[in-house]
Amino acid sequence: MGLGNVLSQDDGLGPFVIQTLLAGWEFDESVQVLDLGTPGLQLSPYLQGQESLIVVDTVRSDGEPGELRLYDRERLLKHPPAQRTSPHDPGLKETLLALELHGLSPAHVLVVGVIPAETGYEPRLTDAVRSAVPGAVDAVLAELERLGVPATRRTEPTEPDIWWERSPSD
Amino acid sequence: MARIVVDPITRIEGHLRIDVEVDGGTVRNSWASGQMWRGIETILEGRDPRDAWLFTQRFCGVCTTVHAITSVRTIENALNLEIPMNAQYIRNIILCAHAMHDHIVHFYHLSALDWVDIVSALSADPRRAAQIAQSLSDWPGNSVQVMQQTQARVQGIVDSGQLGIFANGYWGHPAMKLPPEVNLLAVAHYLQALDYQKKANQIVAILGSKTPNIQNLAVGGVANAINLDNEATLNMNKLYAIKDLLDEVSRFVREVYVPDVIAVGSMYPDWLGYGAGVTNYLSVPDLPLNAAGTEFDFPGGTIMNGDVGTYRPISSFNDEYFRDNVQEGIAHSWYDGDWQKHPWEESTDPMYTDFQDNGKYSWVKSPRFANEPMQVGPLAQVLVGYASGHELTRKYVDAAVSQASSLAGVQLGLQHLHSTLGRHLARAVRTAVLAELAYKHWGLLVNNIGSGDTDIFNPPEFPSGEQRGFGFHEAPRGALSHWVVIDSGKIKNYQAVVPSTWNAGPRDAQGRQGPYEASLMGNPVADPELPLEVLRTVHSFDPCLACAIHTLDPEGKEIAKVKAL
Repeated sequence: MGLGNVLSQDDGLGPFVIQTLLAGWEFDESVQVLDLGTPGLQLSPYLQGQESLIVVDTVRSDGEPGELRLYDRERLLKHPPAQRTSPHDPGLKETLLALELHGLSPAHVLVVGVIPAETGYEPRLTDAVRSAVPGAVDAVLAELERLGVPATRRTEPTEPDIWWERSPSD
Repeated sequence: MARIVVDPITRIEGHLRIDVEVDGGTVRNSWASGQMWRGIETILEGRDPRDAWLFTQRFCGVCTTVHAITSVRTIENALNLEIPMNAQYIRNIILCAHAMHDHIVHFYHLSALDWVDIVSALSADPRRAAQIAQSLSDWPGNSVQVMQQTQARVQGIVDSGQLGIFANGYWGHPAMKLPPEVNLLAVAHYLQALDYQKKANQIVAILGSKTPNIQNLAVGGVANAINLDNEATLNMNKLYAIKDLLDEVSRFVREVYVPDVIAVGSMYPDWLGYGAGVTNYLSVPDLPLNAAGTEFDFPGGTIMNGDVGTYRPISSFNDEYFRDNVQEGIAHSWYDGDWQKHPWEESTDPMYTDFQDNGKYSWVKSPRFANEPMQVGPLAQVLVGYASGHELTRKYVDAAVSQASSLAGVQLGLQHLHSTLGRHLARAVRTAVLAELAYKHWGLLVNNIGSGDTDIFNPPEFPSGEQRGFGFHEAPRGALSHWVVIDSGKIKNYQAVVPSTWNAGPRDAQGRQGPYEASLMGNPVADPELPLEVLRTVHSFDPCLACAIHTLDPEGKEIAKVKAL
């Protein structure tokens, strides 16, 4: 699951990695590969009842832009979500916890995080985060393998469809 | 005088900030501030208008569908392009399903815990809770067994020492008034609501190919090829899958959501007296019934000063009353200047100062209609519907008001809807009306296909020179409009005037507050450290300002969220 806004520079990392995965690899039937944008608590239909979840997103952490950070479920949920004023603040933690009460929360979670450089309004990754894409893709592939559902490289990979980065004149 | 700042500085960019001054337990002054630059429209300049919806769909992660549909309507309006009826109906069913999903999520998962004390549910008698629930409706999920299971789940979470999602709740707050049994039945329904919002979302997914970002739109129609015998297209199987899902969601809305709002609301009668704020209302017509967009199933219009007698209709996709009266001002917004302009004439030149109580203090502009601040959202839509004589709206409003009156033991009327709880009640009423209209448009689609019409698309043509267009949609949070200037087939200017801008905008040049701000005036605040009452009123609008920037915060690097100064 890729999260983030493609119109906000490095926040588009999640969708960018998803397009890269879809263009280059084939996945087991039991695996869904989704670009979900920034749905807040409305994530729950997608997570409900899933066994495992891999999230690709930018993360707030100390370090240099482009550095990769991995978090498991326990570490992600160690700090409770903050009080929300707007009900549509990012809702991954809240969704996981709400589903837990329901007994439908994925037991296994890995966040593949990258520290962003810029998140202004421009539909394009910065160079620092663009160069982190292969590492994030590898982390997802390694996790799928570990979960027993490895992806297979396409015999004829296509170019990732990063439609939001095409310039207006194209 | 105490100053309270509610500012969830949890992400890279700030979002909605609310400041209130409290004296003697009452809010005396208030400010609403959008903490994030909303200059997103500039990304569209120079692009092909046929692609605009793909980008606008990414403005917000919750309101994807609504920005997509408003965008194609806007370009079609600029080109004077009608779309086939199948396309109209398919869009309408998507709009209904999306809105039902959104409203169910809002009540149960985003705002119910402002009113429901989950910890108190532990001391409830499950039999009594089931009795109360069964007196409200015939819903099968109201059994004693369900109440017992729910209580056991809550007990399990509390025993684990990790309240999880509920860790930041206001449990035991003096403003929490529900008896334990009502808290328990509300928690049971909170859990059940997860399933039904998912079903509503599935309807959007069947028609839109994907959610949350649908793929089936085009300027000129939709991309859902129709062939009733082909597995790959929109066929009878898919149409009946949609109907089955609609059956299930409608029943949940009728037998759970609407009765819950009435029951919870009738136990907080005070909150029918707080939170009115701006009582000028704006709603746009929606669910078009013909290709030209001159007949609709949801009426639109304006009401001024809370008086339904002032109703004035907005009645077509080309409506001049709407087109000529929308302006946005920046007197108190972080942009260069202090103008108030029509969206086609606007520019976006950021000029940040700090937060100045009497100067500029928000990234949100101040929309005005005929120079008046307006409240938008389900309450506006329901009042406009009521004023226009819309039968379905009247049926559900009258039933809800009468049931709430008997539960609360006081005679309530339309005037009580101008309130914090009135917004919740109106949203529930609107959802019930949406459920009925979704059926209707499903039937219209099936009949139209049955008559042999399989058209889905009229190709757009872009003449040279300049065209101007506007499009609107009565979205879950209210009147959404997009405005475009096209020059020789390229976008020259694009502006989105979104519902949360109407509601969250700051003061205007005359110092008149926006709806959030005005609605907080006079609200009680029992404990300035725990301003639950402020959240109740703000949440009742279903604010959505903050979706554009995301960035997870796995390490809990949050700054204090409530400051009482």
